[in-house]
Amino acid sequence: MEARTDHNEVFSFWPKHNERLFARLESKHLHVEPSTDPLEAEMSLNLGPQHPATHGVLRCALKLDGENIKTCVVDIGYLHRGIEKLAENKTYQEFMPYTDRMDYLAPYSNNVAFCLAVEKLAGIEVPLRAQYIRTLMSELSRISSHLLWMGTMVMDSGALSVFLWTFKHREVLYSIFDEVAGARFTVSHSRIGGVAGDLSQRAVDLIEDFLPKFSEELDEWMPFLNRNRIWVDRIQGVGVITKEEALAIGMTGPNLRASGVKFDIRRFEPYLVYDRLEFDIPTREDGDSLARYLVRQEEMKQSVRIARQCLDALATLEGPIRVDNAKQGYASKDEVYYSMEGMIHDFVMTDTGVCPPKGAEVYHAIEAPKGELGFFLISDGTGSPWRVRINSPMN
Amino acid sequence: MAFDLKDGFMTTTLDTVVNWARSNAVWPMPMGLACCAIEMMAFAGPKADASRFGSEVFRFSPRQSDLMIVAGWCSYKMAHAIRRIWDQMPDPKWCIAMGACASTGGMHRCYGVVQGVDNFLPVDVYIPGCPPRPEAVLHALMDIQEKIRNEHTVAIDGAV
Amino acid sequence: MGHRTLDFLFSPVDPPKPSAERKNPLAKDSTFDSDAVTALQDEFGEHIADVTLYANEHTVYVDRESIVDLCTFLKDRFGYVYLSDLGGIDRFTEEQRFEVLYSLIAMERGKRIRLKVRLDEEDPVVPSIYGVYPAAGWNERECWDMFGIRFDGHPDLRRMFMPEDFEHFPLRKEFPSLGIPGSLPLPSQTDDGEIVKDPFPAAHGSKPLRRTPFPE
Repeated sequence: MEARTDHNEVFSFWPKHNERLFARLESKHLHVEPSTDPLEAEMSLNLGPQHPATHGVLRCALKLDGENIKTCVVDIGYLHRGIEKLAENKTYQEFMPYTDRMDYLAPYSNNVAFCLAVEKLAGIEVPLRAQYIRTLMSELSRISSHLLWMGTMVMDSGALSVFLWTFKHREVLYSIFDEVAGARFTVSHSRIGGVAGDLSQRAVDLIEDFLPKFSEELDEWMPFLNRNRIWVDRIQGVGVITKEEALAIGMTGPNLRASGVKFDIRRFEPYLVYDRLEFDIPTREDGDSLARYLVRQEEMKQSVRIARQCLDALATLEGPIRVDNAKQGYASKDEVYYSMEGMIHDFVMTDTGVCPPKGAEVYHAIEAPKGELGFFLISDGTGSPWRVRINSPMN
Repeated sequence: MAFDLKDGFMTTTLDTVVNWARSNAVWPMPMGLACCAIEMMAFAGPKADASRFGSEVFRFSPRQSDLMIVAGWCSYKMAHAIRRIWDQMPDPKWCIAMGACASTGGMHRCYGVVQGVDNFLPVDVYIPGCPPRPEAVLHALMDIQEKIRNEHTVAIDGAV
Repeated sequence: MGHRTLDFLFSPVDPPKPSAERKNPLAKDSTFDSDAVTALQDEFGEHIADVTLYANEHTVYVDRESIVDLCTFLKDRFGYVYLSDLGGIDRFTEEQRFEVLYSLIAMERGKRIRLKVRLDEEDPVVPSIYGVYPAAGWNERECWDMFGIRFDGHPDLRRMFMPEDFEHFPLRKEFPSLGIPGSLPLPSQTDDGEIVKDPFPAAHGSKPLRRTPFPE
């Protein structure tokens, strides 16, 4: 591999990789007839890893016929970190910040997913107040994720102001997360055995303030966008995925529900307190972008409803926010500061961590904003897992 | 700059004027890779507004931007693409490594992540944080502006 | 350069203990599917190595030859139309080092089941279930990338995350977490510099490029 810059046009990177990628492009779906007529010839274009529309990094090798995309081969791995490998060297609690960064639009959900998987592995019972707090914050992070989706989706189609409106609300959500967890969005608030800290009165006030204002504004946006001729024309009938296709390719989350499959892990395998809360699962039949858009919008409203119920329940529910067993959860800060046993347990929890039974393996999934986020854990009897398999929402 | 306004004259150095113009219109090219990109969007968003510093337009094209903000961890696979984009940016150009992952690899001390983009890019400002608050990114932008104001770009090697 | 042999203290060769003493608070009904498990044992008796139960989750250990038939059976007869997860596990044992994990969901019946196939290190090949569940396509590619487990019959077995030029399988236990020096090339620091083939150039003496010298 020669080392030159762009100027000399000798520099090429990952030759084998690109060769196989473009070979796949040739072989996928249809056979390309070579033609000397330039108007008949198909062009292969690289929608490269850096592109304004790919928020994040995604590379698509495209075969174009004029402006229509004929075939497309997706190349991912530009954000591969090897966190499954890293997890084998960390204790379960040490791995928590890594889960934040997995789906970084809704970090709280990832935290909760991992905590639940470890709690299932070790058989830890989480107190009710902590479960309500986790549910509340998960739903707020679902709202945050869907707001970002809406802002960027509409911005990419041209209406820049929606981006600013949704980000205004996201800033309010960030202030809420800041107050509850200490960090704006990579929170790591959920601990194995409960949550890190209780909601302060200011946090509750902020959430109480946010929910009605947000639902009012959401109701204002809906007729503005949903009845907008340009917007609907752009996304109706685009990217239709039928129900059979969706099930065959293993799609999860709002996309699956927009294709007509009424499947939500919160109803399929209820976790936290979802079996006591009332909420609907929005489903659409069409499977096009408009359906996916409407499903997510409706989900935001349902999240507000769930958050409202959680807040009402939390107002009257007293109790601990972490499990009482020192082998399973961190001791409270009072115990750590004022008793010898508490301090020792704190050190041991950080050093060794929770030790689930040797050879145990569990899978636990939650309904993250993007879909089914599951963790398959194998324990080797020590405080760090033998294998963490992350079943991410998108396949 | 010295003003002599009653005659409509102003005496200054070319460097000062050019640097003043450059520093107040730094157009970033967001190399938004991961979670720091979300904070970068917040930095461009309504609350911590980058456009009041002159960074109005986030040019996604390298040919039209001055400042590359690498936000997020850079994997080995992506490094070459980032380097190529950096090469495509015209001089003068600056680079901000935003966040712990871009500066040093951050919490990702493993095989897939380049331990700091300064292994292949000349970085001017590093922002610690995971992710850094938008205020921190604004501070970094102001540092870049400060750096630009102190440059001697016009009169180099006796040319001009 | 000599390599130190890895010394693992624990490896999960013991079977998991059933949680008979205390009911796991997070155990769900949906993971317990005795109908399907008994039907599988009746139909495929000799191909099923083991059935385990932990935290109310059924896991069926299958021979690799019959995995496709088993999946088709479950799909047709028990409504397991949806593949939720497919992944690899490195047990790092002498015998049957690798495991491939399949997680299926029957939405109508509200059930989830887990299948596992055990493979030897010398011959980590398993028939692909792409024909039964197209969702397996990417997951099998990931398994190939990370473990080196080949899937027979997969239409396009390329690496998923690492570039094709990469020659190792990262999630195997002997692959060091920090990477192998020389396995991944990095762009050069200067316009005419050498491409550095090292995951950690700073660790081997190369210095970050500074635009302006340190204000000494």
